[in-house]
Amino acid sequence: MNSLYVEGDSFFHRLPPRPKLVLLLLASLALFLTRSPLLLGLAAGAAALLYGSLGIGWRQSWIRLRPILLTIMIVALATLILNSVEDGVTVLLRLTTLMMVAAAVTATVPIGAFIDEVTHAAWPLERLGLVRAADIGLSVGLVIRFVPEVVSRYQQLRQAHQARGLKVRATTMIVPLIIQTLKSADEVAAAIDARGIRGQRQARNLEDSR
Amino acid sequence: MGQRVIIRFEQAGATFSDRVAVEPLTLTLSERRIGIIGLNGSGKTTFARMINGLVTPTNGRVTVNGFDTSSDGEGVRRQVGFIFQNPQNQIILPILREDIALGLKSRRLSAAAVDDAVDAILARFGIEHLAARRAHELSGGELQLAALASVLVTEPEVVILDEPTNQLDLRNRALVETTLRGLDENVLVISHDLDLIGDFDRTLLFHESCLVADGKPGDVIAEYRKIAAS
Amino acid sequence: MTTRDLVLAALFAAIIVALGLLPPIMLGFIPVPITAQSMGVMLAGVILGARRGTVAVLLVLLLAAIGLPVLSGGRGGLAVFAAPTTGYLIGWVFAAFTTGLIAQRFVKPSQTSLIQTLGFFAAAVAGGVVVLYAFGITYLAFITGIGMSKAFLGSMAFIPGDLVKAVVAALAGRAVMAGYPLLPARA
Repeated sequence: MNSLYVEGDSFFHRLPPRPKLVLLLLASLALFLTRSPLLLGLAAGAAALLYGSLGIGWRQSWIRLRPILLTIMIVALATLILNSVEDGVTVLLRLTTLMMVAAAVTATVPIGAFIDEVTHAAWPLERLGLVRAADIGLSVGLVIRFVPEVVSRYQQLRQAHQARGLKVRATTMIVPLIIQTLKSADEVAAAIDARGIRGQRQARNLEDSR
Repeated sequence: MGQRVIIRFEQAGATFSDRVAVEPLTLTLSERRIGIIGLNGSGKTTFARMINGLVTPTNGRVTVNGFDTSSDGEGVRRQVGFIFQNPQNQIILPILREDIALGLKSRRLSAAAVDDAVDAILARFGIEHLAARRAHELSGGELQLAALASVLVTEPEVVILDEPTNQLDLRNRALVETTLRGLDENVLVISHDLDLIGDFDRTLLFHESCLVADGKPGDVIAEYRKIAAS
Repeated sequence: MTTRDLVLAALFAAIIVALGLLPPIMLGFIPVPITAQSMGVMLAGVILGARRGTVAVLLVLLLAAIGLPVLSGGRGGLAVFAAPTTGYLIGWVFAAFTTGLIAQRFVKPSQTSLIQTLGFFAAAVAGGVVVLYAFGITYLAFITGIGMSKAFLGSMAFIPGDLVKAVVAALAGRAVMAGYPLLPARA
């Protein structure tokens, strides 16, 4: 799975992650304070300049932004028809601006730096005893690690269906896929505990491992 | 490394909710290379998991160099590494290098020290070229070496391997065998591959949750063949 | 959370991501393509229960937020949270929680398989349709200013597809419960 991070050396790339995330948060609030087409238009222009400065290129940008741009267009058009031209334009400008700023942040912050930021942000929660901040990075790694495995299990199940002349149906695919995947949880959890990765922990009896 | 590790079972057994997995037994293990054999479901894996505290005894106690597996699981696991039957499930992070570094995280080392340790262990197993590879793309033999590296980077005194040559082709099996012979650490190997453990210092045979033979590989393997044939 | 719970949530998040990689299918009687991913949200609640199911969904959203294209159609990055449909993504969290809560409260191993399936279906509809659309429609109405009733009408086309998903999730949840029970959540 490739991240949407793009290597580069633009000004926005060199900016540390936290000010960028603060900028995004402020933008998401400020855009809803005004309905002036002029101000929103200026904001959209600024966001487009920002996104353009990253050096991603037209083709790649189109591929990245197309799905979200499309939903924004549809909704803006619907608003225009259902309500008024002004409302439609407001929706279009607000959301495309926000989309471009968000996409610019995503394209310039590598996964590792993002996880550090999230872990940092989770510290207050850890103090409240709600989460263990270090678990966040571990869980993210685990998901990325196991997606390809789930996909290859899916393909094997497909082939198994074909080999036995069975029709590929949602339930006969999903059920074994889930059971096979979740069954490896015991061993993965045991490996995490065996390697002492979560620090101080008391291992428990693994009843269904054998 | 290479020092004497003393693993003691004192009337230690494990019972799961409805069945006995390992009948209480008393023994001391201190040999460099120990093989564990027996039929499927005979209690080998549970016995091995009791050594590093993944399974805690339901009666008696198990100690490793004096650390009790029930009360000081962390101390025990720092000394006992464990390679699972399916190394696929052991690699926890997507990129091999990140995964190996993960085991060092709780040590609070500097980033440079972690890098050095990871480089050293990759070099030791000759798998520097795999550092940036994705775990799911590795072959069976590579996975086994990667799992070994991820465990040995934390410098345990003993390493337990659960059927390390299971499902490997001849070339990968030879690779794992050579690697095992080159290890300085004490090793305990659970295996159906009798050639692999043929020259070990000691072999334990499990049958129906009991330790039924304990001695030199030749004699114990002969006993195992009798049980398997009956 | 025990390590096992954490791993179960992470593995389920991987399943939800993988479901998003499957191509959307068209059902004859519904005008919009349906994706398997939002069914993953119902399944998370039905199979893992409220707590672990919610964590699984949060992990998927976290992965999307930090820039991984894990949502169906290869969507990801913070931009997905700047879309008119963002309410549905936020709703996923509460949908998984509601579905899980109802499933673990009312579906018992001692019941007949029909009762279990119906219980899971009710849980999946309550969470994956009622709660999910409450969030999705409210957000859409807020962001566009078109008002709740119009936003509701605009979302109607997707409801039949989600009911179909609830049926599949209930059947699959029942079968997983028989083959590898994780409910009621073990301590």
